[in-house]
Amino acid sequence: MIHSPIHLLTKRFNKRYFQANFWLQCLFILLLALVLFGPILNLLIWTIAERWYFPHALPTQWGLKYWHQVFNPYSDVSGSLFNSVFIAVLTVIVCLLVSVPAGYALSKQTLPLRVFWMLLFLLPQAFPNLTVYINIARIFYDFGLNGTFLGVIIVHSVHGLMFSIWISVAAFSTTDPMLERASRNLGAGPFYTFFHIVLPQAAPGIIASAIFVFLESLDEFTGTFFVGSPNISTLPLLLYTASMEGNYQIASITALILLVPSVLFMVIITKFMRPDMLSKLGK
Amino acid sequence: MAHLHIENLQVGYGNKLILKNINLAVEQGEMIALLGPSGCGKTTLLNALCGFIPVSQGDIFVANRAISKRPAEKRNITMVFQSYALWPHMTVAQNIGYGLKVQKMKHADITTRVTELLKIVKLEGLENDRVTALSGGQRQRVALARALAIRPDVLVLDEPLSNLDAKVRLSVRHEIKALQKQLGFTSLIVTHDQEEALVMADRIAVLNHGTIEQIGTPEDIYHRPKTPFVADFMGADNHLTWPIQNAAITLNINPTITQAEIYFRSENALVSTRPPATNVDVNPSNMGLLIEGPVEQSVFFGNNYQISVRCGTHTIQANHDQHLPEHTPVLLRVPTDALHIFATEAGNSAPQHSLSPLSNQ
Ligand SMILES: Nc1ncnc2c1ncn2[C@@H]1O[C@H](COP(=O)(O)OP(=O)(O)O)[C@@H](O)[C@H]1O
Ligand SMILES: [Mg+2]
Repeated sequence: MIHSPIHLLTKRFNKRYFQANFWLQCLFILLLALVLFGPILNLLIWTIAERWYFPHALPTQWGLKYWHQVFNPYSDVSGSLFNSVFIAVLTVIVCLLVSVPAGYALSKQTLPLRVFWMLLFLLPQAFPNLTVYINIARIFYDFGLNGTFLGVIIVHSVHGLMFSIWISVAAFSTTDPMLERASRNLGAGPFYTFFHIVLPQAAPGIIASAIFVFLESLDEFTGTFFVGSPNISTLPLLLYTASMEGNYQIASITALILLVPSVLFMVIITKFMRPDMLSKLGK
Repeated sequence: MAHLHIENLQVGYGNKLILKNINLAVEQGEMIALLGPSGCGKTTLLNALCGFIPVSQGDIFVANRAISKRPAEKRNITMVFQSYALWPHMTVAQNIGYGLKVQKMKHADITTRVTELLKIVKLEGLENDRVTALSGGQRQRVALARALAIRPDVLVLDEPLSNLDAKVRLSVRHEIKALQKQLGFTSLIVTHDQEEALVMADRIAVLNHGTIEQIGTPEDIYHRPKTPFVADFMGADNHLTWPIQNAAITLNINPTITQAEIYFRSENALVSTRPPATNVDVNPSNMGLLIEGPVEQSVFFGNNYQISVRCGTHTIQANHDQHLPEHTPVLLRVPTDALHIFATEAGNSAPQHSLSPLSNQ
C-alpha cells in the first residue's frame, strides 16, 4: 500500500464523507419511522390507556381493561370479528368460483371480446364508490337483500372480483401452454388437464388473489355501511361507531386487530407473487 | 395400407396455408425423419398429427382408422416436445406415469411400468427427483419415457436434440436410434440437421415450404436428390448455372445439355495444381466436370483446406490436403456420378419445380 500524502488525504476525506452520510441516513430513517409508525404508536398507547385527557402528553391511567372488554365473548367486537371473518371467507369463495374459470378463459388470447370482459370487471371502480353503493343499496332493498349477509357478500364480491380476475388472468397467462398440450397428448381430457396441470401452475397467483380479496373484504367499509347496517356489523363499522362515540380505546384495539391479518398476509403475498407474474398483469 | 398414413393433408393458421398437400406413409416400426429448414412447417405437421391444430383438408389414418377429427387425447400419438414440456410440479416418476394414471391403471402396475421405463432410458434412481433438478439430457430422457409409457401407436419427436449441447447430442442421438430398434416403435422425428436425419432415419422426407420435395432412403436422398432444394439442403454446397460465360469449364456428360442447374459437394471436387492435364492420370471420361481457375482463398479446416476457386462469376469450393497460395492456377475435376444436374428448358428461365433431374448413371 502506498502512503502518499494525497492518498491519506482522500482516505480521510472518504471517512468524513461516510460519517456525514451515516448520520444523514439515520436522520432520514428516523423521520420515516416517525411518519410511518407515529400514528401507530399513538394507536398502541390508546389501546392500553384507561384514562387520557387533553392537556396530558401521556395517559393518566394505564391498563388492559378494554382488552378484557373486547375479548369478552359477548362483546360487540367478538361478534363483529366473527361477522367480518365469515363474510371475508365467503367472499373469497365466491370470487374464486368466478375468477378461476373466468381467469383461465380470459388468459387465452383467442377469446373474443377479451378486453371488453377484462374492463367490465374494472367498471364498478370507475365511478365514485359512494354513488355505486347507494344505488346498489336501493336495488338490494327491492330484493330484500339489505341487512342480510348475502347482500354484504355480494357487494364485497363485486369489489373483490376486480382483484381476483386480474390477478388470475395474470397467473394463468404465465403458465406454459405446452404443459397443457403434453397432458392432452397423453390422453387426459380438458378437465383432468385443468385440475392436474394448469391449476397447480397458477396456484401461487390464485392464492395471492384470494388473500387480496380476503383483506379487501375485511377492510371494506362503504358497501357494508350502506347495504349491511344496522343489522350486520363488521369490524370497520364497529371501528367507525366507536370512533364516533369517542371510545378511542375500543377503536384502537379494533384497528390493531384489523392490522394483524394485513401484515401477516402481505408477508405471504411477497413470497407468492413472482416478478414475472406481475409483468403479466393486464396482458 | 401403412401404419400411419397421411393423405392430401392441408393445414394452416387462419388464412395462411402452411402445409400444402402432404402425403406420407409410415410403416409399422419405421422411423422417418422430417427434414427441412426452420419455418418450413415441420412442427405444424406434428401438431396436426397430435390434434393440437385442426386439419383443413385431407385425412390422417392410424392402422386404417381416420383420426383427424378426433380430439388430441383420443389419438394415441405421443410427442416428445422440443421444449420437453415436463411438469415442474411433479417428480420424474409422476411425469412418466401420468399417462397411465389418466388411464386409471392400478397404482402398483404404474410403479412397475415406470421402473421399467426408467431402466430403458437409463434414469434408475432418479424417480423421486424434481424434473427441474435434471440436466438437459436427463429431461430429454424423461420426456421420451413419458411419451413411450402409454405404448403409443406413433411416437413423434420435435427436434429432440436441438436443446442439447454438441457432445450430449451425439450420445442421445445414438440412444434414441438404438431404443427405436429395440422397442420397434413407429416414429416420426423432426430435424433441421441433415446428419441427424441420415444417421437416425430409415427413410427421410425432405420438407420445403409446406410440401414434401422428396422421400426416400438416406442413400437415395444423399446421392440422388430429385430437386435442387434437396441437393442443396443435403450439403451440395457448390451451385453452378450452366452455361457459364468467360470461364475455362468443360461439361463432359451424355446427353449434352444447353441449360442446367448443377450441384456438387466440395469434397467431391478433386484439386490438381498443375494444369494442363499432364499429371492427370484418371480416365477423363469418369470426370463430368473440369474447371480451370485461380485460387481465391485457402482456409484451414482441420483435416484439410477449403480452397475457393474462381470460375467466371462463380466461386467453387473444393477440399485439398495442403495450403495453396492465392492466384495458384488449379484444375478441378468432379466425377460424373457426384454431379446433380437439373436441366432447364432452353430459353426459359424456368422456376425450380420444373427442373428435371438428369440420371447420374
Ligand atoms: N400459432 C401460429 N400462428 C400463425 N402462424 C404460425 C403459428 N405457428 C407457426 N406459424 C408459422 O408456420 C410456419 C411453420 O412453422 P413451424 O411448423 O413451427 O416450422 P418448423 O419447421 O420450424 O417447425 C412458420 O412460417 C410460422 O411462422
Ligand atoms: Mg419447429
